[in-house]
Amino acid sequence: MISVAIRRAWADHRQRPFWRMVQLFVDRIFRGGGDSDTEGLDLGVGLVLTLLAMPGGFVSILLFDKYGTFLQWLRGATNVDPLAMALPDEYFFLVLSMTVTAAVAVWRWDAIFPDRRDYMNLVPLPISTRTIFFANLVAVLFLVGLIAIDVNAASCILFPVVVGATQSKFLFFAKFALVHAVGVVLASVFAFFAVFSIMGLLMAALPSRAFKRFSAYIRGVVVVYLVTLLCTSFAVPDAIRRAKGTIPAWAYFMPSCWFLGLCQSLRGRAGPVLMGLSRLALPAVAAVVGIALCAYAVGYQRHFVRIAEIADTTATARNPRTWRLRIPLDRWVLRTPLQRGCFRFVCRTLLRSEGHRLVLTAIGGLSLVLASQALMDAFENAKSWRQAALSPDALSIPFILSFLVTVGLRLVFEIPVELRSNWIFQLMLDRDGEECEPLARKVILIFVLPWLLAIAFPVYVYLEGWRVAALHTLLVTTWTVLLTNIVLIRFRKLPCTCTLPLFKQHSFVTLLSVCFGFLLYAVSTPEFESSALARPARMLSLIPIAAVAWYIPHRLAKSTIDIERKLIFEESPAPTFELLRLGDYGR
Amino acid sequence: MLEALHLSKRHASLPAAQDVCFTLRPGQVLGCLGPNGSGKSTTVKMLTGLLEPTRGEVLFNGQNIRDNLAAYRKRLGYVPEEAHLYPYLTGWEYLELIGTLRGIPRAELEKKIDSLLSLFSLHPHRHASIGTYSKGMRQRILLIAALMDNPDIFIFDEPLSGLDVTSALIFKNLVQALGQQGKLVFYCSHVLEVVEKVCSDVLILRKGVVIAQDSVANIGQILGQSLENTFLHLVDDVDTLSVAREIVSVMQAA
Repeated sequence: MISVAIRRAWADHRQRPFWRMVQLFVDRIFRGGGDSDTEGLDLGVGLVLTLLAMPGGFVSILLFDKYGTFLQWLRGATNVDPLAMALPDEYFFLVLSMTVTAAVAVWRWDAIFPDRRDYMNLVPLPISTRTIFFANLVAVLFLVGLIAIDVNAASCILFPVVVGATQSKFLFFAKFALVHAVGVVLASVFAFFAVFSIMGLLMAALPSRAFKRFSAYIRGVVVVYLVTLLCTSFAVPDAIRRAKGTIPAWAYFMPSCWFLGLCQSLRGRAGPVLMGLSRLALPAVAAVVGIALCAYAVGYQRHFVRIAEIADTTATARNPRTWRLRIPLDRWVLRTPLQRGCFRFVCRTLLRSEGHRLVLTAIGGLSLVLASQALMDAFENAKSWRQAALSPDALSIPFILSFLVTVGLRLVFEIPVELRSNWIFQLMLDRDGEECEPLARKVILIFVLPWLLAIAFPVYVYLEGWRVAALHTLLVTTWTVLLTNIVLIRFRKLPCTCTLPLFKQHSFVTLLSVCFGFLLYAVSTPEFESSALARPARMLSLIPIAAVAWYIPHRLAKSTIDIERKLIFEESPAPTFELLRLGDYGR
Repeated sequence: MLEALHLSKRHASLPAAQDVCFTLRPGQVLGCLGPNGSGKSTTVKMLTGLLEPTRGEVLFNGQNIRDNLAAYRKRLGYVPEEAHLYPYLTGWEYLELIGTLRGIPRAELEKKIDSLLSLFSLHPHRHASIGTYSKGMRQRILLIAALMDNPDIFIFDEPLSGLDVTSALIFKNLVQALGQQGKLVFYCSHVLEVVEKVCSDVLILRKGVVIAQDSVANIGQILGQSLENTFLHLVDDVDTLSVAREIVSVMQAA
């Protein structure tokens, strides 16, 4: 009944121009945006909301193990204080809520603000630019509300159920759920508007072209910050507990701590540190909302209303700089004209396309966070630089970087740049040529090895001498080459020119394999290396492993039938389901 | 009557249009010709109210269009040069959106959309997303969107781009029919033959300045040549034959 009434009321409302525009803006935030005239990856609103709600639900379910009374009894834990026990988990939910919401704001950055397409379609109509402004604002506010509720819905119900499982009073559950909901929803709202105000301030302060150029870098910085927030979420609650009396300086830079303080103070469980931090939460939310709205209004006036003026100004192009390494690269590495041409296309796509840069920045951010953690762990347990350098943690740094960048590049190769432009490659490339896999390998190795070798080798020469440096560098290089061979098994397309593959059942297996591979590559290998560097003869035992890692991709490549070697140019995604048309066989 | 009075526009001190003056009367189809960068698009944007002139004004029935832009745009049908449509909407949804924003009553809107989609041969594709449309199909959607509200003024900026032969022929006849109906039509194009055929008058722009303005017949008579030759004579002092020969020689150079 209610849904029918809502639907009927909405059907009446959407006949009015203002609400029809609100619907258009909500639609474009979920499904549109960007400059492309082709349809992008349209997952549908329902699927997007489900995907956003999933992390909170999964994490809550995984916590049943921690809070189950029987399991606690088996562990010998009696008289457990559930509120104290829930503090680190609540912190994690706050971080998760902020990360997911801010990630949505970063992901839909281009779609939140009305753009040239909206200008060309809406401004010539009999609607004032002020009406367009308010319609977009209503759409943004609706989006914030929807995401804040959606991202936290599962955790607001399941987490209090899990924590309150040992409590007989319903009031405990209700109080806990209410405070948790206030905390996570406010954290979500803060995160969204924080990203929105950064974008708005940049738009208000910078000229249009400068904004476009800087926008990608700023988004990258936001992504790195979010990754850092997520990666440190396990350590922060302990660090806050350890802080006695005064608020640590770093906590001021982590808004998740402010909201943890808010939750704890609402429950009356906050110590002086959390109480101090809690005082920042509400003013911060009010401040970012205020800044975002003001900056949005100024940015709208400066950019949207003046789009026609901006587009009419002739661009002053910079002279391209010649890359000095181009000549040796062309002579020694990229030997055919096709490899030279396509290598430049792939590199420019990776460095200039906003979507590709964003994914690469996220991977770079994750790599840096993990590498810094490893470095900190290395120094924590060592007495000198030399001892630290030989620890598994320090040795793992180049492995972490090479693994994540290699796998990340392989992932980025799947993201298409403008699909309708791939006709040029379809026209030029020989489908039986088999040159794309070597090209992809060269791109990965050129992106990974020079930086690793330029930093790791001299550092180890300085700290440990030539022998250790040479062995370590050789191992990292060999492992990178083998990993590149593995990730490029059956790769037969030019990077960034085919449709994004659909998420299929075997994608879970691939995901698990990547996690398992990371453990083997970046955890087990450095541990073994650390012990083997003392007795280099032990390094020889890695040769059979390397041989197997080389042989499997080599064997698979040889056994591939001709049709599977042909170069592909997929331009439309595989259908989610296909009709079997069994009746056709009878005809 | 639509009047452009001494329209000038400067972008960062560079003049895009200078002292452009013309009058467009009911029933008149005014063609606007000019090479790239001559100020055609700038003039069109000033006529539609998208750009505010640095100097001068656009009057519609004696009133400055900027005094009440919404009322002016209600009477304006505009087909822009580039078809920047929403790729995730279907053709029908897009037209329904534009109709709603123009304030066309629901029942009338649905009938109009269906009829116009059929006449432009898009009815079978009405529920396919615009992302899958060809350039010509998108152009036809833009034309329908401009015609739907029966406006008094039409501004077409390269409307034939991507249209197939049949649709282009229909459109050329349509422009003439609109003129006969007493509508005001401003038609920007590079295709001289089309302008020659469908327009009653022509305006030639060069480097933002109007260099010729008269009826199509008179302009040809002045130099005793076709519109194409007149255009080349007035606008581009280029020996097209020798340029073509040079291109071939560059192609063949080792």
